[in-house]
Formats: sequence, structure tokens, C-alpha cells
Amino acid sequence: MVHYGHACMSQTSRLPVIYVFGKKDIDVDDCVEKLLSTLKESSDEAQTILLRMDVAYTHRADDIVSKLRPSIPHLLYNPIPTIAYPNSPSHTSPPNTTSNPETNGNTPAQPYQTILYIGGENLSLTNLLMTNSSCQVHSYDPSTQSTRLESARVNKLLMRRYATVQKARDADVFGILVGTLGVASYLPLISHLRTMLAKSHKKSYTISVGKLNPAKLANFMEIECFVLVACPENSVIEAREFLQPIVTPYELGIALQSEPQWTGEYVLDFKNILDSESNSQQDTNNPNEENKPDDLDEPIFSLTTGKYRHAKRYHNTDPDPDPTSPPSTSDAIILRNQDNALSVMPDSAAGHFLQERSWKGLETRLGEDAPGVLEQGRSGIARGYGDDHRV
Amino acid sequence: MVNFTVDQIRGLMDVPTNIRNMSVIAHVDHGKSTLTDSLVSKAGIIASAKAGDMRFTDTRDDEKERGITIKSTAISMYFELLKEDVEGIKQETNGNEFLINLIDSPGHVDFSSEVTAALRVTDGALVVVDCVEGVCVQTETVLRQALTERIKPVVIINKVDRALLELQVSKEDLYQSFCRTIESVNVIISTYHDEALGDVQVYPEKGTIAFGSGLHGWAFTLLNFAARYAKKFGVQKDKMMLKLWGDNYFNPTTRKWTTKGNDTDGKPLERAFNMFVLDPIFKIFDAVMNYKKDAIAPMLEKLDVKLAQDERDLEGKALLKVIMRKFLPAGDSLLEMIVLHLPSPRTAQRYRAETLYEGPQDDESAIGIRDCDPKGPLVFYVSKMVPTSDKGRFYAFGRVFSGTIRAGPKIRIQGPNYLPGKKEDLFVKSVQRTVLMMGRYVEPIEDCPAGNIVGLVGIDQFLLKSGTLTTSETAHNMKVMKFSVSPVVQVAVEVKNAADLPKLVEGLKRLSKSDPCVQAWINESGEHIIAGAGELHLEICLKDLEEDHAGVPLKKSDPVVGYRETVKAESSIVALSKSQNKHNRLYAKAQPLDEELSLAIENGKVNPRDDFKLRARVLADEYGWDVTDARKIWCFGPDTTGPNLLVDVTKGVQYLNEIKDSCVAAFQWATKEGPMADEIMRGLRINILDVTLHTDAIHRGGGQIIPTCRRVTYAACLLAEPTLQEPVYLVEIQCPENAIGGIYSVLNKRRGQVISEEQRVGTPMFTVKAYLPVMESFGFNSELRAATSGQAFPQAVFDHWEQMNGSPLEKGSKLEEVVRGIRVRKGLKPEIPALDSFYDKL
Repeated sequence: MVHYGHACMSQTSRLPVIYVFGKKDIDVDDCVEKLLSTLKESSDEAQTILLRMDVAYTHRADDIVSKLRPSIPHLLYNPIPTIAYPNSPSHTSPPNTTSNPETNGNTPAQPYQTILYIGGENLSLTNLLMTNSSCQVHSYDPSTQSTRLESARVNKLLMRRYATVQKARDADVFGILVGTLGVASYLPLISHLRTMLAKSHKKSYTISVGKLNPAKLANFMEIECFVLVACPENSVIEAREFLQPIVTPYELGIALQSEPQWTGEYVLDFKNILDSESNSQQDTNNPNEENKPDDLDEPIFSLTTGKYRHAKRYHNTDPDPDPTSPPSTSDAIILRNQDNALSVMPDSAAGHFLQERSWKGLETRLGEDAPGVLEQGRSGIARGYGDDHRV
Repeated sequence: MVNFTVDQIRGLMDVPTNIRNMSVIAHVDHGKSTLTDSLVSKAGIIASAKAGDMRFTDTRDDEKERGITIKSTAISMYFELLKEDVEGIKQETNGNEFLINLIDSPGHVDFSSEVTAALRVTDGALVVVDCVEGVCVQTETVLRQALTERIKPVVIINKVDRALLELQVSKEDLYQSFCRTIESVNVIISTYHDEALGDVQVYPEKGTIAFGSGLHGWAFTLLNFAARYAKKFGVQKDKMMLKLWGDNYFNPTTRKWTTKGNDTDGKPLERAFNMFVLDPIFKIFDAVMNYKKDAIAPMLEKLDVKLAQDERDLEGKALLKVIMRKFLPAGDSLLEMIVLHLPSPRTAQRYRAETLYEGPQDDESAIGIRDCDPKGPLVFYVSKMVPTSDKGRFYAFGRVFSGTIRAGPKIRIQGPNYLPGKKEDLFVKSVQRTVLMMGRYVEPIEDCPAGNIVGLVGIDQFLLKSGTLTTSETAHNMKVMKFSVSPVVQVAVEVKNAADLPKLVEGLKRLSKSDPCVQAWINESGEHIIAGAGELHLEICLKDLEEDHAGVPLKKSDPVVGYRETVKAESSIVALSKSQNKHNRLYAKAQPLDEELSLAIENGKVNPRDDFKLRARVLADEYGWDVTDARKIWCFGPDTTGPNLLVDVTKGVQYLNEIKDSCVAAFQWATKEGPMADEIMRGLRINILDVTLHTDAIHRGGGQIIPTCRRVTYAACLLAEPTLQEPVYLVEIQCPENAIGGIYSVLNKRRGQVISEEQRVGTPMFTVKAYLPVMESFGFNSELRAATSGQAFPQAVFDHWEQMNGSPLEKGSKLEEVVRGIRVRKGLKPEIPALDSFYDKL
């Protein structure tokens, strides 16, 4: 695959990719000078500094690095490759050769405290900020030729995410949005999310969408929160326009914990989420099981409303021998009894939602009306069907 | 020495006719807690010598430090009435032993929610009024609350010693001052007159008013004196009482009673009240305070007061206290008045049932409540949570209205959102223990029958603040309490150390539990917000949170005020929004709701759960709505209960019922986050005028309609002169005349609006009432103190929402600045979104 334009450089699962980034103009001398002067202002020069840049400026990367080196001896820079190969399962690469240096940003021995970023304001900068909240990030925007300290807004960003996580805590029905089909290990992640949700007695639906928009997601009114599985740059969605909150897989992990932890650490990379989750699960598996029977029914204090909330518990049936197996959700159906009244299977979120609606579809008069005759359907597009009299 | 046992109390609990549940309510500093001491000392719980200084019911350290009550405290007492007085009780009684469950409540307005919670579980109230300050704003507030809960008041005019010692008034002046105070109490009572409760105005000659001094531990009703004089004059006690008040005079020379102020020779006569009641008291005061040692002894003999050996050596105030306490013991007179004139649960629940119970008045629970039947189905109302010594756990404090509660059997715990027949907010659990609340102690008891106030252990985790417990599957909830204060002042808190976050979250939960009024939540930008009634309330809450509930160091923001978004006019043009697929169009107009209607919705008088036909009738009759419109109210918002209405005024639109759910969801969303500043909306009516929908169901699904309906709501609002409403306090300030200038200058600086200024007759004190925006109230108290050299005492209580002047859409206006400020604080773009981001061209 040949990829043109801006890229998030996530590892792919199947195809090797050749990147064509485009080349944007940059005044190298000005850039180096400005960056150095901002560094001076923020004092500690002796420390190790990481350099990152927008992919559109990589064509001048060597120039910039060589000019910065003399003043900053401990400059880290991982050249951005133009060809990426999918990670075959047999081949485990050492973490520092991966194309995404920030993926190991949360390892305890973080070598750098300051990050220089070259490029305008975009998703990759936000992404960089979120995952390195403990670092100072200085950016240089080549189009305006100015530098600024970006870290100031990261706290605000993280706080907003924290609020979103709290909303996710209040949800019982989740939608797993599949927003990528290319990023490595998205499939294990999805199945991991499903088991995680099932374990916490939450209902989950998996929905494949291309680009997200409010109109698409608002069609699933019974879903109370979405989890987006997409490449790191597109995972963090500001849900202001959306009816339901949208969280990242890492945030979901936090939301499902019994005690809310929020250290400011933030992970977007799939692999790290999978790794850390499997680690923490081994640690906490046993105490969790012991705690459960006690607070089965207890209402939860919801922080978004400040009131008590009684969580619905799905997958609560004991016959299910293995709670870790992905539940087959398609058999959760609504039974109709002899009085033609609907009775709801306990496990169906959609059924429950339907009960609460005032409009439940056309009245079913089984056996009262004669079956209709099949006739030719409509043809055309929604703008105006063939038999539509609207203009 | 405690002069009763728990078994005695438990025994009395089975006799609902001999129980009195009562609360002590008053303005701040009128002496509730001090007076309560006298009552508690009567029961032997504290030594009588300490009564008045100890404030037994102020259990918290900060209550003692500040000298104010913060939490209401309950205590159960045993009282034996003299056998001969039992016949004075005008309701059913058995024997002369009584159980009195007393709740001492805070007087500061910021804590009036505690008063509300206390009133719910009591049937009578002892209203304390300062004889110098008279009826104050909080006296009126609590009295009004009591009357709307159908609680019968009796009054004590307190601090009479101050009038005698400090103001040195004459007898007639004191009588007149009593009259004025009683009159102003009765004015309030008659304003909130309730047929079912009957005439509850208070009259000294009926014995429903006491006079006394909590600090000195003495008090009397006319009954006390009538009993003394009845024998002497050879008349009945009740006849004597009538003579002792009002324009009744006794001519000592002719030994005849008259109603004229002069005798036949035209010489003025002394009023009977002054002559028989005040005179002995004045004489004692005079003798003791002027050290007329030799006059004291004969007087004591005459009054039948015996002093102990060591007490005889006392002098001045200390001696006065001892004598007065023996002459007119406050505990006896007050408890007597309470027992005689306040209703028993059996009497009270008969008329209170309909105001207490939400469900039909003829189901088994309602009948159980009405009859106060210990064998009926259990109905228990939890009015508040009281912290236990076990950190994080609470006693569920409340009253058994019907049936008997005991540990063991499963009961239904119904939260405030419970609806009969649904499973939401319902838990079936059992109570672990029942305990008697005795101020700072608790005493375990086995069970508790109807009519009593108890604490429950083991169900606190299922209820946040209040709720209904029952054994009847058909039982509805008890009506939720209406608080007279609203949490209008907010602060954001954060932990200093990120690892403490879980503790903060747990702390917020405990804080919400422990206070009936406080609210805690997270806002969109991830800040933990705590909202309280006022600065003092928040200060106490934050202190509790930091030191007790969370126990971690916190960072606190400056207080901010929550605004409401509203509209001033009807939309200038019809707003139109198209769905994303352009196949559906919504046409709508916004218009303001009447302030009265908004209030009615907020007070629950107009309720989304009402039958729509009845509601339409009310709207048409009282608020001038069109009946057809009123019948087509789709929903209230936000949270399906708020004071905004979505009304369908379309004619003949196809598929309209299909999109109702989507529109309702969108309206909840839109009214929760208004178009301008993301604040809650208030007083908004959206009329859906017309709808064009695609013929194919898939193209008019929720996904298309919800965002569109939200946008059309916003567009309609922006077209209808949107504005903000800000909360406004009613401040009442008491001060001497020379401080008034200072008050005015402080109020002017803070956009305050003086509405009245009155001098209290007979005192140099003035009462200034003013409206003060909550926004401007931060630091008001200290500035006022500085400007008046500490002579002015303000009390501020949330009064109403006031529309702000100007338009936020006008560039550079003050209101725009406010909106910008809110938006920046919330991390939004500073500009109000333009109309065309919501409004679509046809």
C-alpha cells in the first residue's frame, strides 16, 4: 500500500506500507534558533531532549538535527521511516526500534523530560501531549515561525477525558466501534474489550463504522457509551456533538475498575493496553472475585449526576460456565407470550430500551389481518424515489 | 442522673397517643440549643446546673467552636405529667407518662435543609423567638416550612432576662413587646393557614406561648401562674388563664375584675398580667441584682422556693439563676406545654397522611399511615443520614409512619426515583439494627412501632440522602422533601496529589450523604464541583470533606455561581434545522414561560407525572395556556422534570409519533447544556411548528432527528432574545441606626437592591431587607462587618432567579463578558456560537 499525505504511523496488521508525506516548507535556521532560545528560557539544558516533528517536515529532519546537536548533546530523534512492515507475530522487535517512539513513553525509566515538536497544531500534537503529560512540550510552528509551550493545556485535556471516563462508569450498555481495520492487533483488542465488558456485567455491541458522525451514532439510542478502536491519533474524540460519550480502550479499562484511578498517565497504543491489562488482571483477579458477592446490588455513586445509580447487570446468568468466552449476544431476543404482550429476556438491552419507548413500531395484529400481497418496492435514492411525489 | 431507662422508653413507644415528636426551630442565635439543654436536663441527661452552658445537642467540635448548630440532633426523653394536668390534654391519652422525641435544628439559613429534614419526622414545633430581636427572616422561613408540612407550632419567647437586665424595660412595655411579637408570629401563621390543620395561631391565654430564658433555665406559661392563683381566687385554672392576659385588670381595693384600664375614680389600674405574672419576676430581679439580701428570703418563702445551703451564699446573676430555676423551671413548663398542646402521632398522622404519601389515599399503606397503625404494613421515611463512629457508614434516620420496624425481615428500600411496579431504585434488604438516637449516644432497641423516630443500621449504602422503606409491594413513595434553600454556590476542588483521587471520590459520596442539601458532581471539563446553599455552608462542607470524609489535602477554587439560560421574547422568525441527510426538517419557535409556571414546575405543583388532562386544565385555568397546546406537552426538561417545555403544535404531520422519543431525548440534552454558555436552561417553551419527514423510516431515525432537534432548539433560542438568569439572595440585616449608612454603601457597591427598612418598635434596632445577587455575595459578610464596625448581622437565603439586563449577543456588553467568562472557564471557544451553526436555510 502506498499512503499519501499525513499519516499517524501506527503499525499495520497486514500490508506493508510505503509512505509519501509531502514536503512542506520550513525555515531551518529560524526553527533551530527559536527552539534553542525557548529551551534556554526553560533552563535545564543538560537533560535529554526528544525531538518530534510533523511527517510533512521530515524531509529537512537531518538538517535540523545536525544543527541542534551541537547545543543539545542529549538529543533523541527517531527518524521516521518511509516504509513500514506489518509486525509478524513471530518477530518481536525491541521497543526502541518501533516507528512510534512515544509508545514506550510510559515505561518507568523515561529518558526524556522535554519534547520539541515541529509542526502546526494537529491531532498528532494532541496525541503527543496526552501520552506525555509529565513532559514539557515545546512546539515550533513553521507556518507562523513561532514557538510556544504546549504543556499548559494538557492538564485541561486530561481533565476533560477524566469527565468522559466518569460518564463511561455510569453506562451499562457499550458499543465497541471498530474504526480501523488496519492497525496492528486491533482484533485481539476488540475481543479483549468484549471479555472485559462481559466480566463487568456490561452489555456490549460491536459496530463497524467508517468515519464517525453524530447522526450515525445517535441511531443506537440504547447504547450509553461507545468505545472507539481506532489508530491513536483518531481515538480521542471530543464528544460534545455526540449524544453519548466516546472513550478509548484505555479509558474503558479505567472506567471498569472498581476504584477510579487517574494518575494522568495515558496510553493509546493497543499493544501497551493489552499488555498492561493482562498484567493487572493477573494481579487483581483474586481479590476482585472475593469482593463481588458483597456489593452485587449496591448502588453506585455516580459522579456525573451526584446521585446514586443502580447498575443493570447483564450476563448475570449463572449457567454461563465460562464468563471469559465472548458471549453470543444474538440469542438475546424478545419472547412474545400468548397474550401478544412482550416479555423481555433479562439480558436484552435493546428489549429494555424498546419497552421504554413511547413509539414501538406499528401495531402487530397477528392473525387479524389478511397477509398483504407482495408488490414491487420502491426504486431510486432517498433524495426522491421513483414513486415519490415530493420534489 | 438519667431518670429513665431505655426499657421505659421502649414501653412508651407502643403507646402512640403518648408520644410527642417535636423539633425546636428558630432564627439563628435565638437560643434553640441553649433552651434544648433545659429540656434535656429535665430528663436528667445532663446536670441541671450545666444546662444553658453546655449545648448538649451541639455534638461537633466546630459547632462548639463557632457557637452555632450545624447538624440537627435528635434525642428521646421520658416525661411524667402531673396526674391532675392530664385532663387538660384535648386528644386521646393513656396515663401520664410521655415519650418526647426532640430534634434540635440549626438556625443559620445555610443549614435550613437540616430543618426541613427534621420537620418531616416531627408533628409539632417549638418556635423560639428572641424577645428583643423579635420575628426574623429565618423565624418566618422555618415557620412557613412547618405549616406547609402541617406541623403545629407552640412558641417560646426567649431571652426575657435580657429585656430585664440589659434594656431595663417597664412591665407594661414588656407586655406590649410580647404582644407585638405574638402578633407577628400569628400573622405568619394565618398567612399559611391550612384547613386540615385548623387554627394553629398561638395565644398566651391558651397556654401555647411560653416566656422564659434558656440561658438561666427558667420559663413559664400562663398555666403555671394560673395554677398558683386559681386556688387563691377560687376559680378554674382555664378561667384564670383568660384573666391573666389581655385587657383584664384587677382592682385590689374592690377585689373585682374589670376590663377597663381605670377604676371608678379614674385611677389607672395595673394589667393583670403585669400584676400577677411580671411583678414577682421583676421583684426577684430587682432584689437579687441590687443585692437587697433581706428582701429575698421572705419572697422566696412566699413563692415556696427552697435554696440549698451552698446556694444561699451565691450572689448576683448566679443567685438569680438558681432562684428563677427553682421558681419557674424551664424544663417542666416547656415539656408540659409540649405535651398539652402538640399533637401525638396518632392525632397528627390523621391529617398529615395526605401531604406525606404520594400514592392513592385508600391503599393499605395510606391507611396504615393515617391510623398510625403498628400492625399495618411498614412505611418508614428516611429523612437524613447521620454519620456513625464507623467511618463511612451512616445511620438512616427517620420515622416509622406505619407498621413496626425491626432487624431481620426483608424490607423494600425505595429511593427517590422509584416508581411503583418498576424495579428502578428499589432494593430488598434487611435492617441490621434499630437504634434510639440520644444526642451524641445511641441506644440499641429491638424494634420500633409506628409513630417513633429511630436510626437504622445497615441500609445506608442503598440510599443517598432520603428514601422510603416499606413492606408493602404496592406502596408508593413518601413525598420527597422540598427544601427552602437551593445549592446555588459552587466551588471546584481537586486533590493536591493525584494518587488521592479515589479518596476524593469516596469523600464526595460521603459528603453528599451526610448533608441533605449539598450536591457533588463532575462537570464537563473534569472538575469536581461541590454546590451548597451559601458561603458558610460550603465552608463547613469543604472542611468536612478535607478533614473527615476524604481525609486528603485539597485545592479549592474560588466560589462560582451557576446561571440559567432563558429567553425573553418569542423567536423573531421560525427556526429551521435540517437533518444531516437533508431529508428531514424541523420548524420551531421558542418563547418564555411565565415565571409563575417555572416556579410551579420547580415546586412540583405542575408535574410531568400528572395526568395530562388534569395538567392541561391547570395550565389553562391558572397560566393562561391554550388547552389543546397544554395537552400536547411532549416533555419537561432537563432530566424530564425541569422548568422547560417541549410542545407539539403541529397540525396533521405524518409519522410524528415516531420521532417523539428522539425529540424528547434531544430536548433533555439541549436544555441541560444551553446554547450560549452550556448552562442549564430555565423557563423555556419550544413549540414544534412543523415537521417534514422522509417517507422512509430508515432516513428519519434517531440519528437524524436527535441532532437536528437539538439544533433547532438552539436556533430558536438564539432568535428569541436569549439571556441569563442569575440567582439572587434575600438578605436581612439587623443593625443599629448608625450602621445603616455602611450597609447601604456596601449594598450599592454590590448591585444590591434595598426593599425595606424598618425599625423594630421599642428597640434601637433596624431591619434592612435587600436583594443581593449571589454572584456579588462572596465576601459580603466580612465587608459588611468592616463597614459597620461589626454591628450588622446579615442572613442571606436564595430567593429567586433574576433575569439579567442586556443581551449576551451584543458585542462588548457586560452580559457578553459574563458568558465569555463562563465559556472560557469551561474550556469552550470564547464566542457564543453563531446562529447559522444551528439555523439552516430552506
